[in-house]
Amino acid sequence: MAHVAVTAVGADRPGIVASVTRVFVEHGCNLEDSSMTILRGLFAMMLVVDVPAGVRAEDLEAALAGPAADLDLVVAVRLVPEVAGGGGGADAPAGGDPWAVSVYGADRPGIVHGIADLLAGQGVNITDLSTRVVGGPDRPVYAMLLEVSLPAGIDPEALGRRLTTAAADLGVDVSLHPSDADIL
Amino acid sequence: MAVRPVLELPDPILKQRSEEVGRVDDAARVLAADLVDTMRATVACVGLAAPQIGVSLRAFVIDVTGHRKARSCHGELVLFDAEIVAAHGPELAREGCLSVPHLTGDVVRASSLVVRGLTVDGVDRVVEVDAFEARAVLHEIDHLDGYLFLDRVSSHEALFRRKVYR
Repeated sequence: MAHVAVTAVGADRPGIVASVTRVFVEHGCNLEDSSMTILRGLFAMMLVVDVPAGVRAEDLEAALAGPAADLDLVVAVRLVPEVAGGGGGADAPAGGDPWAVSVYGADRPGIVHGIADLLAGQGVNITDLSTRVVGGPDRPVYAMLLEVSLPAGIDPEALGRRLTTAAADLGVDVSLHPSDADIL
Repeated sequence: MAVRPVLELPDPILKQRSEEVGRVDDAARVLAADLVDTMRATVACVGLAAPQIGVSLRAFVIDVTGHRKARSCHGELVLFDAEIVAAHGPELAREGCLSVPHLTGDVVRASSLVVRGLTVDGVDRVVEVDAFEARAVLHEIDHLDGYLFLDRVSSHEALFRRKVYR
């Protein structure tokens, strides 16, 4: 089976998920994985979809044109290469220890890039990231939560110190803590 | 005494309410030994309930010995027909489960408990547990009632892919 990546974004309203996913059902597709949320009043969908033989990305894009027009959505469908270990419906555990990074402070441009650039330079993989601007319009506070995977051999304390320095330059606070779960 | 296969989602046994054991007989003691052996077979597993090995009876084992989040610690604790007598203090922490591979979730649970049940000798026992041991007891009793941590995650954003198997 081939996989396609689908993104759809539009003003939030009831019925977007139902309308978009109906197209996949009608084409015999299976939703492998998805993340959907509201970003500043826009409903954003990201999906990886199993596509049966004979159905092309262009067919899905054409079929999605109807709901996209009705709901004023920006839709994109792209064939994606097979990812090693990505099959079987379950996610292969990524290598490395899972840690959580919290960043928060007065909103200003460059926070995400500053932190992400430091992590990339250390070989740290970001596996999940979400951001929110909270607080009133006069004092907006930026909060960013990351799930990261530390490569073998990296010293979390040293990484924490580097993050603290980078955060200070950006005028924000940062914390790094293990996010391992207990198997009960 | 044996390490038994652990059932995984979506096995329907995991979603049933388990039956009371009533009287602790030899069969119940074999079940307890199998629970202990199966729990010990997975490093870092601190608890296991009978439905997870396909037995729909109210029995579980926990052992939080040496765990960094533990305060109270009763060592290897097997209880039949356990019930919560008192519970206090909500606390949030991340849990995984042998029966729900690939996912973990943040679950709010009581941080101190009084729990009562029958020991492997058939004796009525009352134990006070807190912190991580309390979480383990509640997670296992949930199994006996057909609940998984997935039924308890604090919000959809509190569900995560499990990234490490230990």
